[in-house]
Amino acid sequence: MSDLFLQVTVSGLLIGGVYALLSIGLTMIFGVVRIINFAHGELMMLAMYLTFWLHTAHGVDPYLSLLVVAPAMFAIGVAIQRLVVQPILEAPALMKVFATVGLYIALQNLALMLFTADFRTIQTPYASASFRIGAISVSEPRLYAFLCAIVMIVALWAFLKFTLVGKALRAVAENRTVSALMGIRVSRLYLLAFGVGSAITGVAGTLLLPFSYVFPTIGSIYTLVAFVVVVLGGMGNMLGAFFGGLFIGLVESFSGTYVSPAIKEAAYFVIFILVLLVRPQGLFGMGKGSEEIGLK
Amino acid sequence: MKRSTMALVTMALVISALFAVPAAEAGQAPIRIGALYPITGSLALLGEESWRGAEVARQFRNQKGGVAGRQVEFLRADVPDVNAAKSEAERLISREGMKVLIGTYSSSLSLGASEVAARAGVTYFELGGISDQITERGYKTIFRTCPRAQLFSKSQMAFSRDWIAGQIKKKPAELRVSLIHEDSAYGSSIARNLEAEAKAAGVPLTSVIPYDSKAIDLSSVILRLKNDKPDVVVGVSYANDAILIGRQAKELGLDIQAFIGTGGGHSLSGFAEALGPASDGVFNVDFTQFEVNTKFTPGLPEFVEAYKKAFNGPPRSGHSLANFMGATVLFDILEKTQGDQDSSKFRSAAMAYEAKPGTTATGWGVKFTESGQNALAETFLTQWQNKKLLTVWPDGPSVAKPSLIKPFSK
Repeated sequence: MSDLFLQVTVSGLLIGGVYALLSIGLTMIFGVVRIINFAHGELMMLAMYLTFWLHTAHGVDPYLSLLVVAPAMFAIGVAIQRLVVQPILEAPALMKVFATVGLYIALQNLALMLFTADFRTIQTPYASASFRIGAISVSEPRLYAFLCAIVMIVALWAFLKFTLVGKALRAVAENRTVSALMGIRVSRLYLLAFGVGSAITGVAGTLLLPFSYVFPTIGSIYTLVAFVVVVLGGMGNMLGAFFGGLFIGLVESFSGTYVSPAIKEAAYFVIFILVLLVRPQGLFGMGKGSEEIGLK
Repeated sequence: MKRSTMALVTMALVISALFAVPAAEAGQAPIRIGALYPITGSLALLGEESWRGAEVARQFRNQKGGVAGRQVEFLRADVPDVNAAKSEAERLISREGMKVLIGTYSSSLSLGASEVAARAGVTYFELGGISDQITERGYKTIFRTCPRAQLFSKSQMAFSRDWIAGQIKKKPAELRVSLIHEDSAYGSSIARNLEAEAKAAGVPLTSVIPYDSKAIDLSSVILRLKNDKPDVVVGVSYANDAILIGRQAKELGLDIQAFIGTGGGHSLSGFAEALGPASDGVFNVDFTQFEVNTKFTPGLPEFVEAYKKAFNGPPRSGHSLANFMGATVLFDILEKTQGDQDSSKFRSAAMAYEAKPGTTATGWGVKFTESGQNALAETFLTQWQNKKLLTVWPDGPSVAKPSLIKPFSK
């Protein structure tokens, strides 16, 4: 076990934590509302710009700005669900795809218009702070993002498992029609699911900004990663999204270091295709049939 | 309504045409030159910056009485992409009758536009595109005043061999040099040059690491470098990836003696702003920058003054300066032909034109080779010291001594 090997593992897990965090939001929307949200990365982009603006114009620390970003993103998510998704819930799958793709294009171009194509970074004392354990260095902001991902998954899991609203959400995810017959107000729960999913995604964006950057088209990169993670982990499966994220992080880190950084994206897409061929329901999929969630 | 508008437009066109013809014959008509720059789109920032340099040169010349007693006019065309570059060059030549075109900031735009110009026998005077190919296609009417890409690699290797090796007490052949480059056309073409130049300089490359400039995590690049243990890292990056690499190098404790950038992301002020003190010590090869020995670059302070007055702020990069220098050379050559823009007369005047190094605003000399490349164009080495990009090598244009500061360590 060389130092390099350990360092590659740590770096891979840390970035994997960020991918996991990003994918949990998508999974939430996917699992409950059963819509493929192609504008997922754009939600994160909006949150990053919000964080950027709070920091540069008002001097708000990015971690503190979570208190503003999360509710704001919740509101944006609810609005998207109400105005864009709800009217076409019963429409054919293709129409839903067009709607969210349209949303993604609209948001991206709006951002290009409002914020210009420049890359924005924020300056914090801890932007590239790190500490060492032996020969291994651990980046602080990445560690925060990683820990935050774990806390969120646990909280979300507890919410779904133990609260009444959480149980209702799970019921809706399982069967929309029967839930409605049982007296659950399905459309309200959809609003909640989209809102929570967006808020989590927003948190991911905020946590990323201290060690990354934002530009209007950054969303599409993250959307792609999130989709790979979610499909890999089993659609709608939160634990799957978490381990899927870590796995993609490790694949990226190892192939980048031991083969070439230029092929790291190619590497995880190859694995992605292999998984789809061998185990189409994903590593943690709920079994036969669930892989079609969102396209019915 | 529509018809009457059409009629009005047609009348206006006819009238302007009637007036244009006698004016051109009068002899005192302005000298008109086509200027192709990307003013919108993704290349707009530095494209417009480049145009500003040429524009300041034009205003200077007109204040001093113009070229051969005639004022100079630019017909500016916006060329955001290669198709626009070709069609606008076509339009300026066939519809506007331009005999001389300038441009273009981006190499790919230049390749497209100059091809059209050269085939029509029109002079294309490139002031800012660096791709080697531009002057290597056998055309007689293409000239370039700025340095070509190969020179960037050459001076990086020369600096590593002549200065860094001595500083860290190693023989050049023992020096470990790694190259990291973004893997689009820009980075890859410079990488090929650097491999050739490294061989020629007797400093073999330890490793070549390509990466995707849009990646959101580049720790694998840094980890590979840690594994390869180079003394010197040469980087070819755009803006964002340059910053990301700097940050992750610091996070992961990359231990190298020197880092040399290749223009691009490493010479933008945003690089030092984002990295703070960690940018200290990073070297960079580029066009002439503003922190330079002005004895070697006569006309530079005046340029900066005029620029500030015209555009309400200091120049944003060395691109405007390079274009200012090039446009000035163009006007000097036209002075020699008495304002005649005929391409064969222009070529003989250009081939006879000479300026010594240290006599222009960029410090470059001028002597065109048969292929139209300015053989005396140079790149200078700069270094970030306290958030300032100081020219440090070679001695002529430098304002400070290069100093061996471990990059990304503070």
